[in-house]
Amino acid sequence: MTRRGERGRSAEVDSSAPALRLDGLRKVFGERIAVTGLDLTIEPGSFFGLVGPNGAGKTTALSMAVGLLRPDAGTSHVFGADVWQQAGRARELLGVLPDGLAMPEHLTGRELLTYLGRLRRLDRTTAALRTDELLDVMDLMDAQRTPIVDYSTGMRKKIGLATALLHAPKLLVLDEPFEAVDPVSAAGLKHILRRFVAGGGSVLLSSHVMALVEELCDTVAVMAGGDVVAAGPLHLVKGHGTLEDAFVELVGGTRAEGEVLPWLVS
Amino acid sequence: MVGVLIRMKLTIMRRGMTDSRASWMLVGAFAGLCPASCTIWLATREAGHPGALVDLLALVLAMWTFGWMLGPVWSGEPVLGPESFALVPLRRRVLALGLLGAALVGIPTGVALIAFGALVVFAARLGVAPVMVAVPVVVLQVLFVVVLSQLTGRALRAVSGSRLGAAVAGLCTAAMLVASQSGWIVFVALDEVLVSGLSPRVSWVIRALPSGWGLAAIDAAGRADWGVVAVDLAGLCVLIVVLFTLWSRSLGPRRRARSGAVRGSRPAMRPGFRGDEATAAVVSREWRAWWRDPLRVQTLVAAPAFAIMSCALPLAFDSTALLPFAGALTAVMGAVTSANPYGQDGTALWLTLLVPGAARRDVRGRALAWMALFGPSSIVLMLGGGVLNDRAGVWPWAVAATLGALAGGVGLMLLVGVEQLVPGPDPRRRKSSPLDHGNVTGQAFVVLIGIGAVTCPGFGVMWVGERVGSASTVGVGAVLCVLVACLSALYCGRRARRTLIARGPELLHLMRTGSNSDTSRAGATSPVGERVGQRHPMVWMCAVLGLIACVPQALVPTIMKINGTIAPVWFLALHLPNNWQWLVIGFMYGLGIMLLGLSGILYRGRLRSF
Repeated sequence: MTRRGERGRSAEVDSSAPALRLDGLRKVFGERIAVTGLDLTIEPGSFFGLVGPNGAGKTTALSMAVGLLRPDAGTSHVFGADVWQQAGRARELLGVLPDGLAMPEHLTGRELLTYLGRLRRLDRTTAALRTDELLDVMDLMDAQRTPIVDYSTGMRKKIGLATALLHAPKLLVLDEPFEAVDPVSAAGLKHILRRFVAGGGSVLLSSHVMALVEELCDTVAVMAGGDVVAAGPLHLVKGHGTLEDAFVELVGGTRAEGEVLPWLVS
Repeated sequence: MVGVLIRMKLTIMRRGMTDSRASWMLVGAFAGLCPASCTIWLATREAGHPGALVDLLALVLAMWTFGWMLGPVWSGEPVLGPESFALVPLRRRVLALGLLGAALVGIPTGVALIAFGALVVFAARLGVAPVMVAVPVVVLQVLFVVVLSQLTGRALRAVSGSRLGAAVAGLCTAAMLVASQSGWIVFVALDEVLVSGLSPRVSWVIRALPSGWGLAAIDAAGRADWGVVAVDLAGLCVLIVVLFTLWSRSLGPRRRARSGAVRGSRPAMRPGFRGDEATAAVVSREWRAWWRDPLRVQTLVAAPAFAIMSCALPLAFDSTALLPFAGALTAVMGAVTSANPYGQDGTALWLTLLVPGAARRDVRGRALAWMALFGPSSIVLMLGGGVLNDRAGVWPWAVAATLGALAGGVGLMLLVGVEQLVPGPDPRRRKSSPLDHGNVTGQAFVVLIGIGAVTCPGFGVMWVGERVGSASTVGVGAVLCVLVACLSALYCGRRARRTLIARGPELLHLMRTGSNSDTSRAGATSPVGERVGQRHPMVWMCAVLGLIACVPQALVPTIMKINGTIAPVWFLALHLPNNWQWLVIGFMYGLGIMLLGLSGILYRGRLRSF
């Protein structure tokens, strides 16, 4: 029998299954194909980076992967649990930080974490302890009594990450987690994520910042035009150059060189 | 600059134009043209008292001006706001001119021109010279109301981010609703004014208001009193310039931080809910949101304020008959104005979707929190009103209406909120104003009609009991009323929960993108069914006309004829010969029921077609 306080850790993990497996995920918005049959596998213990230019379909793919957007076709499995058919089990194993979504805006940071702890049926002591620790490591103690509606973008990211970590998930799916986060907080977050992976957890994060992905991730996938154009261990994807060079080459972009916008030169 | 901003406004409006917006725009234009035409008709009336017509026109023009002042409460953010141009190096006066030009382009200005055109009609009765004066007067009066509306809109937006501002907005909303639904009392007043005129003091005040200056100028032109004409016109011009200057000065960046932010203070009197821990967490979240979110505070104030004002209005005729129903009206208005709970919370739904089992508890928790807020206030108002009314026979009606409205309202509010979710500005972007919200008129009507439908069987039995003089039948009717409403609440709650679980991601997508059309594809099921209220104003027009036919044109004349106190006012049947009256009343009942039925068929038809 599961103790109430342990509910967040109770879901059985199929250790032989990938942390996340996406098979043929596809999404069409009107005339525009956002994601075209995406296949991706993230192994347990992996720190996986998903990169791609604006409009590549990263957010759509991640939303479908975690069950926040219903795909037109394809499946998503979290440690073997189908995100749509076995939603409860999958959601216990998942911690998610989406990009650009609201929260209960009129709760304070502390109230939000307490509320989610109760909703996830953590016992009061455990919830209070974790709330304190999370507010502390996210450097949000000073803002713990401020409603979220008054948080800055970086603070919203941090409280969002705290909500993703609160129930001790096995897989973290983070959409642009470092966007607008100050360097000091970012260093703290990186440390938390590295420890999470070292402890057996898996992370899938999307980012525009190649240096960050290069610094943190052991595996990367490059998305363009709604599909993965390259995926694998970091050293193989980036080759002999930097990840940024490989990225620009893969997505078919060109670097601005020579005389551009000459009227800007005063 | 003016031309650029006008073209920009028209482009934005054209890009944002959907079938539903176009339909609502037409309905809005029609709704505005009706009173505008009435104003012109009024200018053609004969008055029994010298000066009475001028008094009356001054009164109506003051009402138009008041309406323009409060217009921003409902119209939300303007299409073009000064914030969009904060980084453009424009002088404020130039920007203000441009924005004013853009504000003048639109249906409301056209409606105002027609309404104020009544001044030309009035002037035509006085001669050629007054008409010559009336033409610039109309332009000046329209310019005056538009500038005044911009200024009051700016002021309202400045204070509406705070809870106090939201409460003021709630009171204004309640007052305007009372004024609109008790319009027939205004008709009684107008009838009186035409016969005997206003009292000298009121007449002086009404004419002295800026809304009456143009009229005074025309009146003076009729008497060839050119000095007064010049003073009135010059005064109007100066006033417009002053208002414009004030407004242009207010267009800078907002200096004040958002006021009323709750820095972790715990609202008093949290409901002591004992039960499922997760549900209690939702209740607690909702309770805090109700006291902190300006949009919700507005609802919290508007519902009881509307009920108290409406029920106190008959006190003017020494009648306390409506007082015991203040509680029921609070519950009805509370449900009607809360009919978009998920739309208001926007994309925060993702948290509910990602926690196992949270959707079920979310529906229940919201229902309990709403009950904890509106239940006690409704019951207290019912008890207070009942005591003041002091008629024993009214208690079963008051109790049945209040409890029935509470139970029926809470279920319908949640069901409609899920089934016909209207996306508005996401709450994280709505931090400064409770005036920003989607168009929830359709949802409000569904809840209103739904409450009527679930309580009417019980009321029917009670009415029969009253007619046959059986107290026990009245009691059975009251119990039936509450019972049916409770069963409806259980059914609606269960269905809302199932829909939320089954279609949560689609609802989230709808709120994320503001449209569900993106997901439409061959073979796909619509995420939330048809948002009837947005796309088919025909449904709501039928419902409104049906209610008008049933209630003011049939039920009210019935009561008047039974009581023997007949005031014909705008009740068609009572203007006819006695032997025709019951026939017309019966026809109005039939027409009303037919229109309401048609509305229901259209509504169901739209749902089924998806």
